Amino acid sequence: MSNVERNRLAGADSTVGDLVSTGILGVAVLTFLASWVLLLQWADETATVAGLSVLKLLGVGLVVVGGGLAGLGVGSRLDYVDTAPSSTAGVTVGVVFGLLWAIVGGLAATLVLGNDAALWLPVAALVGIGGFLVSVVPREDVGSTLPVAGILLLLGGFVAVGGINAGWTWSPAWSSAEFPGSELVPILVVFGTLLGAWSAGKAKAGFGAEGRQTGAYYLVGSVVFGMLGVLALLLAFIVTNGLETMLTGASLTGGRLAVPFVGVQLPWIEFPFLLNQTGGLYVEVPGVLPAVVGTLWLVFGAITFAVPLGIGAAVFLTEYAERGRFTQVVEIATNGLWSTPSIVFGLFGLAFLVPRISGGNSIVVGQLVLGFMLLPLVLITSREAILAVPDAHRDASAALGVTKWQTIRSVVLPAAMPGTITGVILGVGRIAGETAPLLLVFGGAPYPSNFPNVLGSFQLSAQPPFVTNEALLSPASALPYQLYSTITAGVFPKEIFSNTEFGWGTALVLLLVVVGLYAVGVGSRLYFRRKLHE
Amino acid sequence: MTQRVPPAREVPTRLRTAVTRRVDRTKQRAHDYRSRTEDGAIAMHGIVIVSVLLTFLLFLAGSRWTVLPVLSFLGTMGVGWTRYQAEAAKALTFLTTVATVSILTLIVAFLLLESIPAVRAMGVGLFTRVRNPAMETPTLGQGLWGRGGVWSLTPMMLGTAITTLIATLIAAPVGVAGAVFVSEIAPGRVREVVKPGIELMAGIPSITYGFIGLTIVNQYFYAEFGTPTIGTYFAAGLMIGIMALPTVVTVAEDALNAVPEEIKSGALAMGSTRWQTTKSVTIPAGLSGVSAGVLLGVGRAMGETMAATVMLTHTKGFPSPVFDVFSRYGETLTTVIAFEGGNARDIHMSALFAAGVVLFVMVMLLSVTSQYVEWRMHQKLGGER
Repeated sequence: MSNVERNRLAGADSTVGDLVSTGILGVAVLTFLASWVLLLQWADETATVAGLSVLKLLGVGLVVVGGGLAGLGVGSRLDYVDTAPSSTAGVTVGVVFGLLWAIVGGLAATLVLGNDAALWLPVAALVGIGGFLVSVVPREDVGSTLPVAGILLLLGGFVAVGGINAGWTWSPAWSSAEFPGSELVPILVVFGTLLGAWSAGKAKAGFGAEGRQTGAYYLVGSVVFGMLGVLALLLAFIVTNGLETMLTGASLTGGRLAVPFVGVQLPWIEFPFLLNQTGGLYVEVPGVLPAVVGTLWLVFGAITFAVPLGIGAAVFLTEYAERGRFTQVVEIATNGLWSTPSIVFGLFGLAFLVPRISGGNSIVVGQLVLGFMLLPLVLITSREAILAVPDAHRDASAALGVTKWQTIRSVVLPAAMPGTITGVILGVGRIAGETAPLLLVFGGAPYPSNFPNVLGSFQLSAQPPFVTNEALLSPASALPYQLYSTITAGVFPKEIFSNTEFGWGTALVLLLVVVGLYAVGVGSRLYFRRKLHE
Repeated sequence: MTQRVPPAREVPTRLRTAVTRRVDRTKQRAHDYRSRTEDGAIAMHGIVIVSVLLTFLLFLAGSRWTVLPVLSFLGTMGVGWTRYQAEAAKALTFLTTVATVSILTLIVAFLLLESIPAVRAMGVGLFTRVRNPAMETPTLGQGLWGRGGVWSLTPMMLGTAITTLIATLIAAPVGVAGAVFVSEIAPGRVREVVKPGIELMAGIPSITYGFIGLTIVNQYFYAEFGTPTIGTYFAAGLMIGIMALPTVVTVAEDALNAVPEEIKSGALAMGSTRWQTTKSVTIPAGLSGVSAGVLLGVGRAMGETMAATVMLTHTKGFPSPVFDVFSRYGETLTTVIAFEGGNARDIHMSALFAAGVVLFVMVMLLSVTSQYVEWRMHQKLGGER
């Protein structure tokens, strides 16, 4: 209990430090976000806010963070702010700060003394060692704030007084690109604010073990926040760019549905982008119907090939085979198949299947190759699902006097079904978006004017192989392949869309299909897992 | 490896006993099988195995008579299923297992087989040559692909190395941070949103990443950083790094979750903070699993095709200096296959297959290493999950 009281008292005393560090964090977050806004080109670098250019404002933000940190560190050392620092900031922190200072020293030396390794290298090393010592030797409150504050003040000050402005460029000899101040400053500021947030987080919790935890959480949290931000941005880009194309001419009641036998036409959904051909003379709004149908056939074929194989192998491995050399070989082979790059599957299909089946790109080879890719995932997930069926179920069934196969069929497989289905859905999500092997064994014309009529092309003959299907043996299009050919083919044949617009529309449809499958897969897994734990 | 080497005279006797033991065991098995299985079922097994073998051989030969053994297989299975369902099921599951293994074997065999002409023409130079002697002034990294009968994979190998390195530098630290966040820091609610979100990110097709990279990232670097071409190793590596992120996060997070709760509680009971526990107990205990995740991510980045194919310039050569990631060159092992595979002939095609072999071997090494590392971790943690 005494411990709790002391903590609360300490917390009550350190309101000044708490306030200052919260303020610093706030400024850091704002500066961080502002630099991203600049990096993503949402605002012009030369814009001015309150008479200061945006870049200078970023510099001022860094200076505020740095100054605040220095104040906190010194204040804590002189006991104006109540904290509980450790005796040293630790070697890890020291190494990080030392490296940063070495970079600062090296840059400064190249600017002043010229680009000669014999000159700038020792300066960088000396400054780096200095930074390391300043971080490690004094008490933690000074060691973990002052080196950061120094860097931020230097960088921020340099930017704020206009040392680097939007027009300034750095073109190093080793790089073909040049780095303009308008981009370099936001990038540096992003890293600077991350550093600042780390130190401010430490200070907020009064240094020591608690402080390190808070600092680390702020750092990791902002990195993850950035990662999710990237994900959201990617999705937003596709949706905003593709929505207009996808909805061209679409309406809820514009279409006509003819009711058979009665002769009445009812208002129906009209969706030309999904339901029209891509090429063809009389198509007003080109659509992705051939690609959608092609993708459906590919997925259907891959599932019919891979699911029985995968489940069969999983049953054999878990129920029949004794653990030994053979099962190990199968495991290695499965994991090998799982990590084989998709383009290698394409090469294999090109060398093995194409000359023996169709002599050129064809749907059926595409189905088989995607089936090969789906197989390991089905095997792994259904094997896990079968292993998760409790042995008690098997014993109970065996005690009824039925054979092993009857147990497998009526007890094990039904219990393992949910896990297997989830695995298949996730796997289908993966192969539905797969493009690389399709380039080698599947793809046909870039803008097809009809979709593959697989069902109507079966033909019987007296010659072996007795059943033929011309449609299955000819190339087609699929959503990811359509996107690729839209990118690589030159000008779009119709005026209504540009190539890029049609590409965004296709990307959105593809994304909806794949993400929809993933959402169903992930959702069903959560559902079954919850049901299992109830 | 301090095993005593048996004296030479003992070897034949030992070998003989081992062989006889093996033969005896097989005989015993055959006898068991014979006595436990009905005659009809044995006949069914025999016909099924023969028809599958025939199917495979005829298919390999490209014969149109392949359909006959397929029909015989289906017929036998149909009859067998009604009369000896248990035996038929066992045979069927066994065959599916064999098929899975043979697919990988076939992939390896055909890759090697098809790359033989290129290896025969170029020798080791296929993987090591950096100058083309057929040119008047052989310059470093120029004319290595098809000029004067010289085919060398070195520019593409360097390209793959550069993009993979950039991708790893992005995916490894951010991915591990993400795993730590999801597994150790995030409160339950946040975790329930973030984790499926990251898995969803893994589902976005690579061609979509490539399209965004082409229309947005490439243009950005071209406009703002004045890169000599639209499309650079750096932009492609950046995009591949983002694509490899989810793999790293998911596998590393699984590894951190697999660290037994008792170990963590023990550390917490000693009075350490949660971060101290994470840093000094959980991460070291799960380190092998985390590195397995990173290795898998590296494998993904190396095998990634579409984003790189769409974004890179397909100019082959060595950037100078090597770490100039903004140069006009841009070709990796995967992109050269995807870009030229459609209309390559003869030795050109064979060289592409050789590129596939290099890729396959590298990715397989990474995969096996990561499996080994993970296996080690489960050994260390006593197999608890």
